Amino acid sequence: MYKLFLILRYLRRRLIILLPIIAVWLCVAMVLIVVSVMGGFLEMVKERTRGLLSDLIVDNETLQGFPYYQELIDELKMELPDLVEAATPAIYNYGILRVKDYNYTKPVQVVGIRLDEFQGVNDFENALYYDRYYPGTTTLQKQQQPVSGLAESGKWLLPEEYETAFAGFRDRNRAEAAKLTPEMTSPHGVGRYRPGFAAPGFEGDPLWGIIVGTDIINRRTDKGTYEREFRRGCEMILTLLPLTQQGVISASGALTVPMRYADDSYTRVYDIDRLCVYVDFEYLQDLLDMEPQERVDGGWTPARASQILIKLRDGQDSFAARDRVTAVWKAFFHRIAPKLSPEDEMLMSRVKTETWQQRQQTYIQAVEKEKILVLILFMVISLVAVVVVFCVFYLIVSHKTRDIGIIKSVGASPWGVEAIFVAYGAAVGLFGGVAGTITGVIFVRHINELQEALAWINPNLRVWNPEVYAFDRIPTAVDGVEAAIIFVVAILASMIGALIPAIQAGRVWPVKALRYE
Amino acid sequence: MNEPILTATGLHKSYQMGPELLRVLRGASVTVQRGEWLAVMGASGSGKSTLLHILGALDVPDEGTVRFNGEEIFSQGVRAQERMRNRSVGFVFQFYHLLPELNVLENILLPAMVRYSVLGWMREGKGAREYARTVLEQVGLERRGHHRPNELSGGERQRAAIARALVNQPELLLADEPTGNLDAKTGQGILAVLQALNAQGQTIVMVTHDPSVADMAHRRVQLVEGRIKT
Repeated sequence: MYKLFLILRYLRRRLIILLPIIAVWLCVAMVLIVVSVMGGFLEMVKERTRGLLSDLIVDNETLQGFPYYQELIDELKMELPDLVEAATPAIYNYGILRVKDYNYTKPVQVVGIRLDEFQGVNDFENALYYDRYYPGTTTLQKQQQPVSGLAESGKWLLPEEYETAFAGFRDRNRAEAAKLTPEMTSPHGVGRYRPGFAAPGFEGDPLWGIIVGTDIINRRTDKGTYEREFRRGCEMILTLLPLTQQGVISASGALTVPMRYADDSYTRVYDIDRLCVYVDFEYLQDLLDMEPQERVDGGWTPARASQILIKLRDGQDSFAARDRVTAVWKAFFHRIAPKLSPEDEMLMSRVKTETWQQRQQTYIQAVEKEKILVLILFMVISLVAVVVVFCVFYLIVSHKTRDIGIIKSVGASPWGVEAIFVAYGAAVGLFGGVAGTITGVIFVRHINELQEALAWINPNLRVWNPEVYAFDRIPTAVDGVEAAIIFVVAILASMIGALIPAIQAGRVWPVKALRYE
Repeated sequence: MNEPILTATGLHKSYQMGPELLRVLRGASVTVQRGEWLAVMGASGSGKSTLLHILGALDVPDEGTVRFNGEEIFSQGVRAQERMRNRSVGFVFQFYHLLPELNVLENILLPAMVRYSVLGWMREGKGAREYARTVLEQVGLERRGHHRPNELSGGERQRAAIARALVNQPELLLADEPTGNLDAKTGQGILAVLQALNAQGQTIVMVTHDPSVADMAHRRVQLVEGRIKT
């Protein structure tokens, strides 16, 4: 009983004990913050990678792409109906984007997609900005610019299908809709109206739609929000460089096409949002000479795509699925190989199937290693807390030598005295650990707000650079198991710090201790 | 009073003081009868405190035996010595040796808390508290239970130390110069407390160099050159 009593009493009456508690507190908070930020970063990398790619990617890693992609998709769906939920082709290429009336240019990666199918294999739907407020209005097909006009009701409104779509969003998301400003849901606010009090309608030539990465055309503010400079539906010019089947620039040379700004995408992966634009798959295929073409010998070169993205059914292991898809691919390739031209055969022989984890393996492994490395470094730094616990306990034992003698003179055992100090150390770890965990969790939850506050004081204090770290906000994830491990390690470390002074206290000879001044 | 509670035979104890071996006890032997108040006298540095510490199992002799209620205490192992210090013997020191972080009542209860585990304390704690209050009353500190040691006078601190020594109802009270740090009047008060305890049957061994203090005891012995002389 005396052990518990003395621990509680010493915790209350010995102010010096605040020192190791603060040391443990800071170390636990520090390690938890580091682990949470690194873990959040890792999780975000994985989540976004999977969300923006798909479960499996079939690719030959060339700009020319590979033929017979649609036949392969059909075969996969037929052979593996229990595995494949959806699959879609995509084309990747590079180009230059120009906003027509502003002469604003950017280099871009052009992605050809079938929008509906693409949204079916990943989370792209959630990345679209206008489609959120005007659901169903984003398309990559030919379109005109929607323009506000004076409706019969006497109000300035967009064309009816847009107003209906917005009303649907408002009904489903009343709280969010109430906070929206006209600027946020442009084209309301950016202010273009049909002249002469004309009714709402559409203007301009019908042009193919383009979805643009938000960091390409919108200006990021210090607060992390975006200022929208261009009106939805405005004209953009895309310049492309078509390649032949052999990978050389087509005889037609560079190609410039007008397109209409249909939406922008905010995937939260900076490298994608600052680089990617999305156009209709078939249209891009046509522009890049990847559509079926008649050869001089009267035959046809098959259409090509850069990738096939496959979404698996729930509960499927992506690595096992990859092997099954590869097997189907091999059988398919052997079957069609005899009728392939040498160029097509070369392109198809390079095709391989990867999981989303493999696709980003180098990056994910690097981040995982970085997380472990940083964790080890901070653990080493946390040894300071152990040293502080040791020093303070050594001091306490030295100052309390006579008290230890008194306790032993009334019958306490050496083990009992040791237990007092080890348990006292555990109590230090417990209090420091609780305080550190609470502080760490609060810090992690508000880390972006804290960064904004620092940046408001001085923009140079913004520590998280989205251009370096790929994500626009500091990603965090407090893992309960990791937090519990850190907490337990803090208690154990405090006990270890207290152990040597405790043993020293246990060895105090009562007669000597009672004479101690 | 003709039943020996404690018998020490041929006790030797030496201390290494630098290059010199200081032989403090050189075959000291003493017997304490149950209910007796024995005063051990001697000059400063004669080994009185060392003898008392060995009698109370607080220190170990180099040679010799100590029998408590017929049992040799140093052949029984450390646990038995700890148990003896906790339950059978109460120490009163010259410099009180109270824990400054605890109040008087808590200091008094300390040996009882050492005696019981947490579960044992849940069962026996109430009784121990009541007995501690009784002892406090016995030593005249009933109103000082919640004071810290630094708020007490020297005499009150020594009374608190006596109360602590008594809380586990030991058979033997060992007092090391209990009045040595007090003025004459206060010292008389402490001796009166010891006298009252002895009158109730408490066996006391008291070390002192003051003949007037030793006069209060039933019997006095002298420690001279490491041996007891009656």
